[in-house]
Amino acid sequence: MEEMTLNVSTAALCADGLSRMYGAIRALDEVNLTLDRGITGLLGPNGAGKTTLLSILATVNEPDTGRVSVFGLDPRDRAERVEIRRRLGYLPQELRYHRHFTVAGFLDYVAILKEITDRRRRADEVARVLAALGLERRARTRIRALSGGMRQRLAIAQALLGQPELLILDEPTAGLDPEQRLRFRELLSGLPGDPVIVLSTHQADDIAAICPKVVVLLQGRVRFAGTPSELAATASGRVWAAAERDPGAHLSWRGGDSRWRHIGDNPPDGAELVAPTVEDGYLLLSHAVVSDDRH
Amino acid sequence: MTSPVVPCAGGPSGVELLASYAAGTVEPAVVWSVEAHLPGCARCRCALSGHVDQQRLVRNRSVLLVRAAIGDEGPVRRLICRFGVHDHLLRLLAATPSLRRSWLLSIVGVLAAVVGEAAAVRYGWIPSGRPGGLAGYSDPEVLAPFLLVAPLIVLAGVAAAFLPVFDPAYRLAVAAPFSGVTLLLVRTVSALAAALVPVVGAAFVLPGPGWLPAALLLPSLALSAFALAAATVMSPRAAAVAAGVAWVLPALLLATAHVPLLIVQRPAQVACAAVLCASFLVLLARHDRFELGWKR
Amino acid sequence: MRLEAEERDDAALLRAVARGDEEALAALYDRHAGWLTVRLTRRCAMPDLVDHAIQDTFLAVWRKAGSYRGGADVAGFIWGIGIRRLIDLIRRENGPRPLLWRAEPEAVVSAEEQVLVGIEHGRLGQALARLSPELRGAIEATVLDGLTCAEAAVLLGVAEGTVKSRCHRARQALRAALAADQAGSESPALRREAWGTS
Repeated sequence: MEEMTLNVSTAALCADGLSRMYGAIRALDEVNLTLDRGITGLLGPNGAGKTTLLSILATVNEPDTGRVSVFGLDPRDRAERVEIRRRLGYLPQELRYHRHFTVAGFLDYVAILKEITDRRRRADEVARVLAALGLERRARTRIRALSGGMRQRLAIAQALLGQPELLILDEPTAGLDPEQRLRFRELLSGLPGDPVIVLSTHQADDIAAICPKVVVLLQGRVRFAGTPSELAATASGRVWAAAERDPGAHLSWRGGDSRWRHIGDNPPDGAELVAPTVEDGYLLLSHAVVSDDRH
Repeated sequence: MTSPVVPCAGGPSGVELLASYAAGTVEPAVVWSVEAHLPGCARCRCALSGHVDQQRLVRNRSVLLVRAAIGDEGPVRRLICRFGVHDHLLRLLAATPSLRRSWLLSIVGVLAAVVGEAAAVRYGWIPSGRPGGLAGYSDPEVLAPFLLVAPLIVLAGVAAAFLPVFDPAYRLAVAAPFSGVTLLLVRTVSALAAALVPVVGAAFVLPGPGWLPAALLLPSLALSAFALAAATVMSPRAAAVAAGVAWVLPALLLATAHVPLLIVQRPAQVACAAVLCASFLVLLARHDRFELGWKR
Repeated sequence: MRLEAEERDDAALLRAVARGDEEALAALYDRHAGWLTVRLTRRCAMPDLVDHAIQDTFLAVWRKAGSYRGGADVAGFIWGIGIRRLIDLIRRENGPRPLLWRAEPEAVVSAEEQVLVGIEHGRLGQALARLSPELRGAIEATVLDGLTCAEAAVLLGVAEGTVKSRCHRARQALRAALAADQAGSESPALRREAWGTS
């Protein structure tokens, strides 16, 4: 298990020993995390605790144990919590909307929640995020008339209001087609002020495409923290291709070229090793955790 | 048609002239000529546009379209703003469920049904099995459904202001720096006002004692304040249910005892006033609990 | 011919705006915001205020497009709204007086401009040029912009009485300058304008 080797005291966001239970389910288990400027991806399957972790970092939930420090501020103190929220842009999972709102009206509402009280500054900000997400022509459309992809872009847009220093995005790419995902990546890397960005996903290719740093969360614990290429490298020598299915592999599937791809601890002699991808590393890790549990 | 007096943008001297005008370096008398010429000549107007910073034009354009889309500055809004209410507080009301037309329409529907039924019984359109009305006073039992329902309607409006289930974007409000107390106050006060108007109006229409509309105010306010105060102690949903039960039980008891009006008569009014004061005190002491979502 | 076609287009756009067509509003903006910006900047040198005035103007057009009766041309209609929005903003601003008159009369007058002044206004133009900036400002606000004395007072940042007395002195000065030379090449229409409507 690797830790980020950053100097903790200068890190922008620091989580220490976070735990959270929902009834009998352990959603988070002693999670330690440090995050700095730039994009970090949180990778894990549904139910791994990503949403819980992100909601704690966004000061929406409290941990049962553990501490969080955001830009040196402690969310347990009321005034500091409000100060964190001033610098925060949050995209919750499956955001629901007041259906009667228009796109511009909804963004105006969120801008007020972010304490932008001057009417003209609000309109300026709303215009800015509409342009950034390509929604200018939809300003007067009712949200209930938007497609799923547009609603997702709207959800991302509201997080960008006020140019936050900390962006917490829970499954931002859900419902976006590949071209939109590309735009999203360009958008994130072009944000002014170099904010701290954390986004969660259960798709490894999002990580490979967007995030220079990745944290893998499985069953409430951090299993990996590093770069995507390091994650891929954990599977080096353990991924091979063959014409037929190999029963000795942990995971096998048929690729588009109708060859079988295998991931396992012991590739057979003479097997054709292939370069591992981020997804391979993730799958290997995931399998290891699951089989640990079985024993 | 005579030719324009000022050289138009079509000619070379006209172009220079417009450039100087845009830069502010022409003689005042020439300025007059140019400005008198502009409303009549689209070509010059167009040429003049070229001298403005295009980025500035684009920026103003997008802000304009957003403001047109949001639809601010209606006459009602400007009137209210003259009384010192901040414009952004008014815009918050757009997200309040109890101010939506659908909500208000359903309130009116419920009240119409209750009042209609009461009137039908009172005026004998529906046989009720009881003797006709007392002199100057309707049979109090006819009022029982209304007395049960009216303050609950007000309570429902207020509950919609603070229950998370009525706010689809609740998590956004939690994660935002805007004061939860202010948000709650704005929504509650407007929900109260919006709900009290049809309720009191229905009381006027109802065939009942003349003091009924006024007598409804204190119980409605007390119930709402009680719900809010309870929400600082228990979960919001439990608080709303507790307040509802606190009204329904006595109302039903008194109705079965054939004295439903007791619930709005003098002793009950005193009790409501006491509950209102106590709730206020609790709210004052514990108002910071209304930071949305945060339990400890 | 083409100019008349454009004018009809403007009126048609305005009718479309009255029906709630947002594209028409954008088209109207594209046509008119540029010159309006320049002309308003000549009245108020604070660019933020001018930006807000531009936005407010077209918002007002958005709301009031139905009130356009086709009398004045569309550009004049928009200017009337624009200058009043600017005055509204200046009044609310209430801070340091906005700068006016970026024009520098000492700047080199080109030959074309001299000819223009001569043909266009004759003696009146020269008399105007000789007026002091404050008097000229008062005349311009009340005559060219068509403002009331109260509105002109806000725009110029002075009291209403001051505006009235300045207009009076300006008219006296112009009358004197014109009377000093009987040569009549000034256009009668401009002379009527100079005396104003009051």
